[in-house]
Amino acid sequence: MTQIPRWILPTAISVTVPLPSYAVQYLSVSQAQKLCFPEATQFVAAHIKFAPAQVKAIEAASGEKQLLRGQEIWRAMKGERLQGFFIVDYVIGKHLVIDYAVALSPEGRVKQIEILNYRESYGGEIRNADWRKQFLGKTARSHFALNEGITNISGATLSCRHVTEGVRRVLATYEVCLK
Amino acid sequence: MKFASSEVRRARPLLGTFVDITARGADETNLHRAIDRAFATIQRVDRLMSFHDPGSDVSRINRDGFPKGVIVHPWTWRVLKCAQEFSRKSDGVFDITIGRQLVKWDYLPKPGKRFGSGGSWRDIVLDNKRNVRFRRRLIVDLGGIAKGFAVDRAIKTLKDNGVVTGIVNAGGDLRVFGSTSQLIHLRHPARPTHIARAVRLRERAMATSGVYFERRKYRGKYVGPLLDGRTSQSGRELISVSVAAAECMVADALTKIVFTLREKAADLLAQYGADALLLERDGAPSWIFDSLCDTRVPTRFA
Repeated sequence: MTQIPRWILPTAISVTVPLPSYAVQYLSVSQAQKLCFPEATQFVAAHIKFAPAQVKAIEAASGEKQLLRGQEIWRAMKGERLQGFFIVDYVIGKHLVIDYAVALSPEGRVKQIEILNYRESYGGEIRNADWRKQFLGKTARSHFALNEGITNISGATLSCRHVTEGVRRVLATYEVCLK
Repeated sequence: MKFASSEVRRARPLLGTFVDITARGADETNLHRAIDRAFATIQRVDRLMSFHDPGSDVSRINRDGFPKGVIVHPWTWRVLKCAQEFSRKSDGVFDITIGRQLVKWDYLPKPGKRFGSGGSWRDIVLDNKRNVRFRRRLIVDLGGIAKGFAVDRAIKTLKDNGVVTGIVNAGGDLRVFGSTSQLIHLRHPARPTHIARAVRLRERAMATSGVYFERRKYRGKYVGPLLDGRTSQSGRELISVSVAAAECMVADALTKIVFTLREKAADLLAQYGADALLLERDGAPSWIFDSLCDTRVPTRFA
């Protein structure tokens, strides 16, 4: 699991992940960069630390709270030409932080969004003896398995509202800091 | 046949949820391309059937379905046909016109136009040539079925692009294809951050409905987004219903019917070769059908 850089996180948010949790690492930053900008020959880091006035301007433009202290931004370059911006952002999903990337065109239009890391905390039942007991005595016909981790969950739809709000904030960051 | 050695897994925010696609096959570049295309397919379904997008077929129908009528895309047409079939077979338990109630409870935004107070699926006319017309002012919402359709289309895109095994999971509505089975965990209906059960699926779709993330108060009473189309009453119970079927669109629609009818939906499930698993508030399965079955003797209703 990749670490969220300390300089970006607000001091109020704990970075410790309580166990057990459900976590999926979809793409690394460099994998996502290549998928979003297949033409690019290099990605030039242009990370920023927000000045207080920028935070205010981003909040005013997006209507979202800016809790992060900075933003990881890369310029996707093909030779000398700017292909667009690759921005990593963090939002609090259902209980835990979701990392995702937004690819913007040079004009600031959303080209692509990719989830990088998804995390969700779970109650202790997986390790709890009573919960495990329900699987004892299973036969070959059984559809249950004990030793496999959680890879897919079915349940009523989880909203992606936080990411939608995050993208709004990222677009405001482009307006305030990159344009 | 080439040995399927690579696995790629990606997720994007689409259809108001997280759409998660896993693909296995020989070549990683191809897998990424196939997944890109599958996401594009889902985005297309989203654009056609979103309630929120003013340019979608659904918004166009809601604007001009009465009195004029609107010609829709073949995909929208198919979903509407299927929705009407489920309304007929469930005697109105499944009803895409409950959007009206969902707007009232603030689950959906208010459309620009007046949409009247009565009406049901019976007031939707599907003429030949993909023309959709309302007999009175009405709004439809495909939220209970379009996600399943999107999953089915995405699976087709993956297959058409050479993927051997895969899974598409749109926030709980999912479908698995290929030779290996997949373990799917189910949330606990009363404590959604806990896992209550696990089932195995192979070459099959499954959808799960519950109100646990979505329950809210309206005039002092709890309501949920799952309604009985006959009465417009919401299911408030903290239960979850999972339905497995060959197609995700079918599974998606059937969860809503089983949520209301419980064991009375048995005949309908059988008609579609579907199985259901209902988890009660305490996480115990109260009623189980074949392919999702547990080895223990299920508790049946009297």
